[in-house]
Amino acid sequence: MFGLLRKKPVNYDALSKLRPPQLDGVDEILGINMRNALIQKYNPRSAIERARDKVAAKVALEAAGIACTGTVAVIDSHQKLAEFKASRDMPDAWAIKPARGSQGDGILLAVRREGNTWFKGSGAPLTEETVMHHIQKVVDGGFSGDSAAEDAALIEPLIIADPALSRIVPEGLPDLRVISLHYTPLMAMVRLPTLESDGKANLHQRAIGAGIDMVTGKITRAVVKGTPITHHPDTGELLIGFEIPGWERVLELASRCGPAVGLGYCGADIVLDVNDGPLVIEVNAHPGIEIQNICQAGLKVRIAATGEDFR
Amino acid sequence: MIARLRQTWERATPQVKRPFYVGITVGFVLAVLVGLGIANTDSFFALPSSLEGVATSQAIWGLKPSNLLMVLPLGAFLVVLARSFVGVKAFGLFTPMLIAVAFLQIGPVMGPVVLCSSVLVGMIVTPSLLKLRMTRVGFLGVLISLIVLVLVAMQLIFDVALQVDAFPVIVCALCVERWWKQWGKDGAKPAAKMAFNTFILAVIIEFVMVSDFALALIEASPLLMPAFTAVAIGILGRYRGLRLSEIHRFAPIWLERRRKARLSANPDQLELDLEPITDEDRRATAPPLEGMWVIDSPADLHPGRRRRVPQPIIPNKEAQFEPRFDALGRPLKHNAWIIRSAQDV
Repeated sequence: MFGLLRKKPVNYDALSKLRPPQLDGVDEILGINMRNALIQKYNPRSAIERARDKVAAKVALEAAGIACTGTVAVIDSHQKLAEFKASRDMPDAWAIKPARGSQGDGILLAVRREGNTWFKGSGAPLTEETVMHHIQKVVDGGFSGDSAAEDAALIEPLIIADPALSRIVPEGLPDLRVISLHYTPLMAMVRLPTLESDGKANLHQRAIGAGIDMVTGKITRAVVKGTPITHHPDTGELLIGFEIPGWERVLELASRCGPAVGLGYCGADIVLDVNDGPLVIEVNAHPGIEIQNICQAGLKVRIAATGEDFR
Repeated sequence: MIARLRQTWERATPQVKRPFYVGITVGFVLAVLVGLGIANTDSFFALPSSLEGVATSQAIWGLKPSNLLMVLPLGAFLVVLARSFVGVKAFGLFTPMLIAVAFLQIGPVMGPVVLCSSVLVGMIVTPSLLKLRMTRVGFLGVLISLIVLVLVAMQLIFDVALQVDAFPVIVCALCVERWWKQWGKDGAKPAAKMAFNTFILAVIIEFVMVSDFALALIEASPLLMPAFTAVAIGILGRYRGLRLSEIHRFAPIWLERRRKARLSANPDQLELDLEPITDEDRRATAPPLEGMWVIDSPADLHPGRRRRVPQPIIPNKEAQFEPRFDALGRPLKHNAWIIRSAQDV
């Protein structure tokens, strides 16, 4: 029991080795073929399934003592849905997520409440009926791809971003993506929403991707759809050199959440909450490789620096 | 065009050049095989009915129906090559191969015609089918009947009997389904790109399958082809390096790194790698103008308060958007007041 709670120290030795990636060439980049091989080698089927299910992943993370976003309720059956009453059980600001959703499908956010009506970030009202209908659609598996017949709706209190971060974005919640192998965080970026991305931290929808220096936690480079920028296009804030608040804690969380879920190679999605600091929202078993283009560095050299033998 | 190519080539870093040579070699071998396949084609416009009961593939290319099975491993090899070495994104895992076999059964020109018209009809009908809330099986069933309907219509149009097996019909139905799924997931443009990739890949596989090389290999011994391709796929399946498409994707990393190295070696050196920066680029990367705050209440003057004032610019004349410079070439200072703190008011 206590063994699970014991903190594993961040492997700073391996981290400092990451600093000079002088291996210039095709070999330093991790291609999708190699990534798939790594996943096949280090991520067991059961762990991938666990990571894909937000509820199961959260249980595993919390058992390992990792700070996750809070939970209001998990509705995984129609019986629970019938017992649930939004006006009684929901807080003022919340997020409803499908446990097996992908790419932000089916996520509903409410930022404030007046009586029994909530309001979305855009100001559109959400009546109790709409909310219950959405939960029902989630439970019916309406947002969970084509294979799942039933799903669980995960209701969480709304996360309000750290003021240092929310100052540089016009709206939406920035999130950090840290890729790690076992206990070693390898590469990190922060995804900053823009007005054009509609407040979503999705790189395909023209959100900003900003590479972070692993040692100092400062933004070294920011990119929108392949074009480097220095300032946020909407708020005009300088991005280069911005230091992520609580970077040590982010690294510690990122290094522990892969092993907690059972994944060897994973990408942790971390948000910075105004009260609780860094919180893990999701662990990804198939993290994308676009992060290399954003950080201007190869993942393969960094993995090699941890002692992985590529042959 | 040639100058542009030369410029690209001069900018290419060594990391890009090596895989490029490999890619060119593979492309050349494939082109030769496809050329052989096309040269082997007796008649492009032969309709299956005019062949008097002889199978299409035999009449046009001399590929016996019993040997149709033998070319399947070759198709599988090409699909693996396209996916894990070139990095082509296509529908499904082996769909391009299945389409190629379907083309072999219908004919080099009629195959694409049948496929395209089936997909087109599927595209038109699917939205109304989806409204009926059918299961996947039901949906596919309706598609199959529709494709048969298309075939019958084509028989009437060309006034011949097409004689198509069950297999191409199923392949067409699956294509329509894939296409629709991809459209719903990624939008029209990526889906169209993927469909185009699939089609080109299918055509390449089709002609490689009927090239003299493949036919000679099949004729020599029925065991040769499967054994040969099994070994080749086994080697290719272990390929863990970068795909050719990823070389293109990550090339900016090497380009920018080399530019930085050159710049640090000689700060005065002009940036040879890049085309001169235009006003458009400069405008796109510049931070937004500060100033122009709208102050409605005393609370707006509180330090750290976020102000974002939507200022729609209605274009009335072109000159409004032209950059303005003074005699020394510096940008003009605009005469709006810039309010940075409460004291400025």
